[in-house]
Amino acid sequence: MTTSPTDDWLELAVEVHMEAVEPVSELFARYGFNEGVVIEEPYLQERDGDNVRVDTSRPVIIRTFLAAADADPAKLEEIRRGLFHLNQIRPVGELVITGRAEEDWAHTWKAFYQPVRVGRKVVVRPPWRDYEEAPGDVVVILDPGMAFGTGTHPTTRLAMMGLEAAITPGDTVLDVGTGSGVLAIAAAKLGAASVDANDIEPVAVRSARENVGRNDLTVAVRVEEGTAGADGPFPGTYSLVVANIIARVLIELVDGITTAVAPGGTLVLAGIIEGREADVIGAYAARGFTVTDRDQIEDWVGMTLRRAS
Amino acid sequence: MAKRVRAYVKLQIPAGKATPAPPIGPALGQHGVAIMNFVKEYNERTAAQTGQIIPVVITVYEDRSFSFVTKTPPAADLLRRAAGIDKGSNNPRTTKVATVTSDQIREIAELKMKDLNAVDMAGAVLQIEGTARSMGIEVA
Repeated sequence: MTTSPTDDWLELAVEVHMEAVEPVSELFARYGFNEGVVIEEPYLQERDGDNVRVDTSRPVIIRTFLAAADADPAKLEEIRRGLFHLNQIRPVGELVITGRAEEDWAHTWKAFYQPVRVGRKVVVRPPWRDYEEAPGDVVVILDPGMAFGTGTHPTTRLAMMGLEAAITPGDTVLDVGTGSGVLAIAAAKLGAASVDANDIEPVAVRSARENVGRNDLTVAVRVEEGTAGADGPFPGTYSLVVANIIARVLIELVDGITTAVAPGGTLVLAGIIEGREADVIGAYAARGFTVTDRDQIEDWVGMTLRRAS
Repeated sequence: MAKRVRAYVKLQIPAGKATPAPPIGPALGQHGVAIMNFVKEYNERTAAQTGQIIPVVITVYEDRSFSFVTKTPPAADLLRRAAGIDKGSNNPRTTKVATVTSDQIREIAELKMKDLNAVDMAGAVLQIEGTARSMGIEVA
């Protein structure tokens, strides 16, 4: 037991077999604060984030929390005894108790978010942080929430650098799979005449619209739910299209994305894991696109392509 | 967007009653998740199910954005309701606290089927029966 008298909370954790998850959770919920239980199932996924699934071959960690003032030894003993009995039916690991200090949980996560330089010019800042702009900076205000694209990920940085290099003032821009709207907002601030952005996830559309509003761009940037191309909300053509998704989806959407690029127009792709680069290039080359620029951060690749005029 | 996962967390919490206190605060805060966004969304989506435990699976991505899906109530919660008891047995091997019918087990298995890792209904029924046994609930 790792605790000290100043702890406000006790965290109880135990490692169990998949089949013991339900009864141990039930036991923990009986004693835990707000009946709350945390179940950490090990997972498997491909390197670019595709196909996340639970790994049923490994044990699961179950946690609950007790207010320290409320955690008398008798109660802990009852929990131990409960685990002991469950252990007679299916193996249950050792109970680990760790003291935790009270924190302002609603706000501590904000420490993770600082103004961050995403491209060469573009700086993303959360609404609650100040940032002193240097000459040439383009500041995007972004409330990091549920939608992907907080600016801290290599794929967002690659897409942003590609966008900055490719954009010409007056461009018409389409942002496919906009997430938080970070690229669409940056495009408008970098001089696009108009920006359309789509996403198939309603949460992303809502989040992107809120962020567009925060940056006072509701006239310049339109955000709609749906896919790219003729079946989506924006069936027209654009002088510049950006798509920061993953290789599998970029290949699946190749028709929708390529038809959105006007003849002679530019396409910025990101979110491509190193091993799938050739597949993506192959799919787009078959539709008359040539790679004009390429960049890499860690195992992620971003590229700029031009459509033949 | 390229959503590589940094954490995959399941929480069992009462519908409509999520708060930033434990377990949600520490479970999500350590990954930099915007806790209040989660709390608000969860409570809105589960408001109609107040009184039940609604598990939620949260996927946190590398850039700390996240998504979540709600699941069917835990089998233990459904068994408690079916048996009309507040809690399971403290010593399930020797102390039986209630009895449920095999029809009730089947009903729960059907409701839970989509969230279980069972290949068929027979497998799902076995899992629910196993949970019942470990709570000291007998199947008649």
